[in-house]
Amino acid sequence: MQIQLRKIIPGYIEQEKRSTSQVWEQNISIRKGEHLHIVAPSGSGKTSLMHFIYGLRKDYSGSIFYDDMDIKKLSTESFSAFRQNKISIIFQDLRLFENQTVKENIEIKRILDPYHQSQKIDEMAKRLGIENKLNQSVKTCSYGEQQRIAIIRALMQPFDFLLLDEPYSHLDEVNREKAMDLIYEECAKRNAAMVFADLKPLDFFKDEKIIYL
Amino acid sequence: MSLSYKNIEPLIISGKNIFSKWLGYFGLGIGVLLLLVSMQMFVNIQQLLKENNPRKSGGYDFISISKTITNDNMGKDNSFTNADLAKLREQPTIAGVAPLISNKFRVRATAGDIIPFSTDLFLESINNNYIDTVPPSFTWQPGQITVPIIFSSDFLEMYNVFAPAQGLPQLSAKTISSINIILECSGPYGSQNFKGSIVALSDRINSLLVPQSFMNWSNMYFMRDTAVHASRVYIKTKDANDPKLISYLDQQGYHLNKDKVKFSRIKSILQNIVSALGVFGILVIVLALMLFSFYLQLMIAKSKDNLRLLLTLGYSPKWLASSVAKTWLPVYLSIIVVALVLTQILHLLFMQLSFVKVENLSYFLNWRVWLTAIFLFALTIFINLRLVKKELGNIL
Repeated sequence: MQIQLRKIIPGYIEQEKRSTSQVWEQNISIRKGEHLHIVAPSGSGKTSLMHFIYGLRKDYSGSIFYDDMDIKKLSTESFSAFRQNKISIIFQDLRLFENQTVKENIEIKRILDPYHQSQKIDEMAKRLGIENKLNQSVKTCSYGEQQRIAIIRALMQPFDFLLLDEPYSHLDEVNREKAMDLIYEECAKRNAAMVFADLKPLDFFKDEKIIYL
Repeated sequence: MSLSYKNIEPLIISGKNIFSKWLGYFGLGIGVLLLLVSMQMFVNIQQLLKENNPRKSGGYDFISISKTITNDNMGKDNSFTNADLAKLREQPTIAGVAPLISNKFRVRATAGDIIPFSTDLFLESINNNYIDTVPPSFTWQPGQITVPIIFSSDFLEMYNVFAPAQGLPQLSAKTISSINIILECSGPYGSQNFKGSIVALSDRINSLLVPQSFMNWSNMYFMRDTAVHASRVYIKTKDANDPKLISYLDQQGYHLNKDKVKFSRIKSILQNIVSALGVFGILVIVLALMLFSFYLQLMIAKSKDNLRLLLTLGYSPKWLASSVAKTWLPVYLSIIVVALVLTQILHLLFMQLSFVKVENLSYFLNWRVWLTAIFLFALTIFINLRLVKKELGNIL
């Protein structure tokens, strides 16, 4: 699978930002196995871009293609099929079920199209240091812990593309690296593409194509 | 672990107000029960009062009318004139009119030597199409000595009531046809004896009927009278209980033999009551389904964020709609099954009632009741699924 951005531009972006952007009004294609790092200060449209690609918002001009399908024309039903096993996301605002336990939050994604066995949840939780939080309600977890829950949840399914929207904002350096390693590992297993949006280039980010929004 | 509603169940917030849910179930149950019971009772009444109704044949009622005798018209000629008959024929509710022509000459009947019985008699004739039992032998030609008679079965019954007291033998329907009656007909222009033979019994017409050809001939022969003097007229109508017909007859001062239509009046009143009950049942079902739909809307509105997130995570809207809708399936099924069982019990209790002729009814529920139950089940599922889909569509 391949994702193509064809001259997309959100309605609200000012003219001067458009001209300097390496994304807006450009043609970009992302292929399996590629790592793309999108760097931009806050408020410049990173989250919008992620939502455009994931199909949550359609308030842009230009088009986004999954292979040869214009996603503006996709039904919610077809989107659900893509979201089950082609494209996964870690939202900036995490989007967890607050009243469910950590394990339930991850499990509800896993059972949809299981890439991993259930035991893998414990394993990953251990790696990211939240293994004793698994049976706690999400709302009792800190934001940093919740970020790690969202990361594990996104890695439970098969995917060709992983979208990450500032996934480490509340993680310390050590945990950031642990999480990054895990994500790299999981993407490598699937030969998946990674689209990573953050405020500044991360020093441990390896051989990525960096583009500025 | 495969995907099932159980996985997402904790995310669907049903709300604390389960009262409306149970009220909805209860209402739906009552409505379905009312509808099914009223349908079964409608069929039962239909079966029980199907009556071997002699007045009715080919979808028509045959009823007799006469002019009401009052103190004012007593002693006058109260027979129907040709103009009266023509007016009756014009009525849209009346499909046909046939006067009963009676004899003008004197008739005396003796039963010969077997039964020492002799009486003055009246004879009448009517268009054969208005008689319920017309055997092929019911014909007469001038010169024929034997006159076929169709005898009212009510008269036979009456005779059998008073016969023992009078020292006369009681007669069965079979033996009556073997009795030879001598008819002594006389008038100013002659007299003649005929042999009367009862060829059939009529449940519809209370009279002694002879063929029209005999009546015409004898009125002419003995009295030289050809005018129609009909004190009774039979009318053929689609519905003897038609209010338009009845009010017209009342207006004209015609007297309807009410006894004959009472039966069908009771039947139609009963069926109207039962139908009203059924309509009420439908109303209750509609209200219950509305209550459900409010409950469902509330539930989906409360779970809006969770449902949205499920869709964002990749849950298919179709799957969500059908699994949420499916949770009601067992409830609906049980409601319908319980209603069917109760209907069956009520039906069996109904059959225990003293006036019910069990042989006319089946112990099982009528197929229409089953069909309605299945239809209601399908309908509730369909409405439910549509509602869930619509509500889910709204939050997307």
